[in-house]
Amino acid sequence: MNRKGAFNWSITLLWVSLVTVGLIAIYSATQGPVAEFLPSYIQINFYKQLVAFGIAIAVFATVQFISPRTFKEGSYLFYGICLLLMILTLIIGREVNGAKSWLTFGPVNFQASELMKVATILATANYLTSQRNISAENMRHALMTIGLLLLPTILVLLQNDTGTALIFLSLIPVILFWSGLPYGISLFIISPAIIGYLCIIGWYWGLLAAVVITLLIFFIQRRTWLTFTSFVCGILIVIGVQVALYQVLQPYQRGRIEAFTNPEFDPKGAGWNVIQAKTAIGSGGVWGKGFMEGTQTQLRFLPEQWTDFVFCVIAEEFGFVGASFVLLLFMGLLLRLLKSAQNHQHPFAQIVMIGVAWVYFIHLFVNIGSASGLLPVIGLPLPFISYGGSALLTNTLMLSICVNLDFHKRQLSIYR
Amino acid sequence: MRNRKKKRSNFSILVLKVCMIGMVVIILMRLFQLQILEYDEYSPKSRDNALRQEIVTPARGLIYDRTGKLIVDNEPIYSIIITPATYDPEATPLLANLLDIPVDSLKKRIEKARAYSWQRSSRIFTEIDFKTFSAIQENIWQLPGIGHQIESKRHYPVDSLRASHLFGYLREVSEQEYLQSNKYNLGDKIGKSGLESIYNSQLWGEQGVDYTLVNAMGQSLGSYKNGASDEPPVKGQELHTTISADLQQLAEDLMEGKRGAVVALNPKTGGVLSLVSAPQYDIRKLSGRIDKDYWQSINTNKGKPLYNRAISSRQPPGSTFKPLMALIGLELGIITPQTEVYNPGYYLRGRRYGDHADVGTYRLRKAIQHSSNTYFFWMMDKIATGGYLNRWHDMAADFGLGSKTGIDLPYEVAGILPDSAYFNRVIGKNQWGLGDVLNLGIGQGYLSVSPLQMALVTAEIANDGYRVRPHIVQQIKKENGDVVQIEPPRKKIEWLDQKDIDVVKEGMRLVVSDGSSSYYTDLDSVAVAGKTGTAQNPHGEDHGWFVAFAPYDDPQIAIAVLMENSGYGSISAAPVASLLIEKYLTGKIDRPYVYNYVKDFKPKLPETENE
Repeated sequence: MNRKGAFNWSITLLWVSLVTVGLIAIYSATQGPVAEFLPSYIQINFYKQLVAFGIAIAVFATVQFISPRTFKEGSYLFYGICLLLMILTLIIGREVNGAKSWLTFGPVNFQASELMKVATILATANYLTSQRNISAENMRHALMTIGLLLLPTILVLLQNDTGTALIFLSLIPVILFWSGLPYGISLFIISPAIIGYLCIIGWYWGLLAAVVITLLIFFIQRRTWLTFTSFVCGILIVIGVQVALYQVLQPYQRGRIEAFTNPEFDPKGAGWNVIQAKTAIGSGGVWGKGFMEGTQTQLRFLPEQWTDFVFCVIAEEFGFVGASFVLLLFMGLLLRLLKSAQNHQHPFAQIVMIGVAWVYFIHLFVNIGSASGLLPVIGLPLPFISYGGSALLTNTLMLSICVNLDFHKRQLSIYR
Repeated sequence: MRNRKKKRSNFSILVLKVCMIGMVVIILMRLFQLQILEYDEYSPKSRDNALRQEIVTPARGLIYDRTGKLIVDNEPIYSIIITPATYDPEATPLLANLLDIPVDSLKKRIEKARAYSWQRSSRIFTEIDFKTFSAIQENIWQLPGIGHQIESKRHYPVDSLRASHLFGYLREVSEQEYLQSNKYNLGDKIGKSGLESIYNSQLWGEQGVDYTLVNAMGQSLGSYKNGASDEPPVKGQELHTTISADLQQLAEDLMEGKRGAVVALNPKTGGVLSLVSAPQYDIRKLSGRIDKDYWQSINTNKGKPLYNRAISSRQPPGSTFKPLMALIGLELGIITPQTEVYNPGYYLRGRRYGDHADVGTYRLRKAIQHSSNTYFFWMMDKIATGGYLNRWHDMAADFGLGSKTGIDLPYEVAGILPDSAYFNRVIGKNQWGLGDVLNLGIGQGYLSVSPLQMALVTAEIANDGYRVRPHIVQQIKKENGDVVQIEPPRKKIEWLDQKDIDVVKEGMRLVVSDGSSSYYTDLDSVAVAGKTGTAQNPHGEDHGWFVAFAPYDDPQIAIAVLMENSGYGSISAAPVASLLIEKYLTGKIDRPYVYNYVKDFKPKLPETENE
């Protein structure tokens, strides 16, 4: 084997493919016949994305020349800087669509929370590999890890950006699981998400899930207190979700949830987006309506069709075939990343790769799930495809770090 | 230790992989469900989103007279529409000026349009004249957001022709009709009377659909696929009628200011040459936007202009019934042409039944010529006492009395042709007697007919005894050129003998050539045969009747005229019939004095009224 390992062309190629698909979709969504009904600051989104892609290529290339050790050694500093930027955002940030998550430096707008994703993954990976025998089985280590992940979660929540907070939260079980958390406890940690989701559809499904998960935990772990806690938590979640739905949530938030479970309930209001998104996807059929021919897209029936609902544009204009192709590209990228992680000798690189793959995956699942009515509408962009310079650059940065680590496999292991 | 860790991490990665693949498969299944299984549900949804169907109302079928002259067509009406989103309020004074309405009133209309929709266009002014329309078109560059819409209304190209009761008027479909049929939209107009109503389904055609692309804001983006998927409307079918526009025009002219009806038939076919009911309404005033005051006035007018006297009124036929009586008497063997009946000035049977004819002996021809009541009272007496009343009924029924003729106009009445069952029902069994029956002999009493029925009887005598069906439409032409010919059956009335008909015809000829009405009815150019009649009217002045056919040898026209409250038929109805025959057969009127007489003739209407 070459000392430096092989440059991972397949990931690079998948990356380029995904961004290209994104550019095509954004072009259709902002430059197609629909442009007539769009303000000019949205029409130019395509060109902005094109520029961002150019910068992203530069970033991708540049990162390849950085020593892999730098990522590990500089991770805490980077994490600290990002935390400061996050706090700065809370103070002087600009509010867009209800979320105060944008920082403005002269002509440049960017979201610190995007960079925070990278920093958090790196810092957590660094912490878990900083000493020998660190394991999530150790309560102190586990809590420290959770702390590293929870700090940005809280800051993002303060910025009122629920979607991104979800990303950080979802990293907790994945990383803890990797670093040795017992299976039962891992299951216990993710159980609230499953029970909560099912509760929204129907409280009885939530209850059923709570019972089943409790039984599973009992069989895997056979610890009475854990089983008991799991059951109590499950019940509390079922009750909590009901209370939240009918007592705590603001009407517009509840509207979104209602819109998810029953869009026909309010077809002109909260249900509109869901109905139009599903209609766009469904009416695409097998082969789609053709590039720039999608009526839902081009006649402005889709909301936010260059970001959160960009997948609908693809599904409408390129059909089941096009949509499946995009999913295959993503699946290829994720499996490649996981394979690289598996082949890597160094746990730091492994954690980074798994973390990055997971972040992409959650974006993907939540974005398409929202658009196709599987999940309530949670505003998360589709990585590499949705319009958004910060997101594209961050996602590219994460990927290029993974490629770098993969490329310099041996270097890192010698260091070890 | 290290190995265990390695194993653990490999296992974690495997779990992650399984999770990811599993969830992506869920997404794929969802896409499969939406895009393939439920495609048939979402595809039309997206189509409905983006396409607005605009119903194109078909052009209503045209109506022609017997010579192919266009008598009913369509005329565009222009409406001004506004799209509030692109409208510039500064243009309001100019637009108000062009429309010639106060600025405030225009502002109100614009407000209303805005309240309806900001993006969609709505009508602010309907049925503007072409001049105003042109003026607005010239200034359209100063009027952003203003457009026009062209619809159509009925137009009657022959200026002096009204024919209201023939054509009928249109009105917007009622909510009930709209719900019952999927052919119409609210706002569509359908025939409510006359031919427009009877032939509505043929005249209507088939609606078309235009597809317009619309965006999520409801803005219209022009036609979809350049109209490739539009369904063009099918024009209504053309009606070719038997009406003679010239004759109809003259008949309307002559009946102006009078009450009554004229029905002229082609005796060979039963085709209606002219049908007038007076007074009539102005059909042009009901063709577009309806003037409520006018509608109110024709509904309350005492002359009942909406009522079609030609087919809906029931009057005793008076002496015009005598030719038919003669045919029945001859057939039953009660009389021969040589039978003599002495008229002492009355017919005595329990009481005196009056007779205006001169005292003397009458044979059939003379009895018809001078309309001797005695002769026909005597004959009816024989019929009744001979037990022939129901035979009499059946024979008269063979001519079309007592039942609807089946003309293609709505609201026809059957009239009354009594038989013994009728008397039993109306008067009571064994309660009625000869006194009730004798009057039938001179066309009075319980007998009642419509002018159309009298015209039909006359036509049947003229055509030597063929039963025909009066009809107006003879041909229906579809847009693709297909023609449906309407030829109602023509059936010989079996029991009639030609020689009997000839005698009766001779009598009718004498009425005109040498009888009481000859001054107004005898023509040098054409041999006319006819019969006067006067229907007793207990409520006022008697109604005058005249029936006639001509030319005597080869009848081309059979006509019945009823003039209400005008006294003797010979001086009221006869001149009208005569002028119409002259016009129809010679193409002109050579007797201005008769024309002027008719025009100056004033019926003694029971009450004064504004018509």
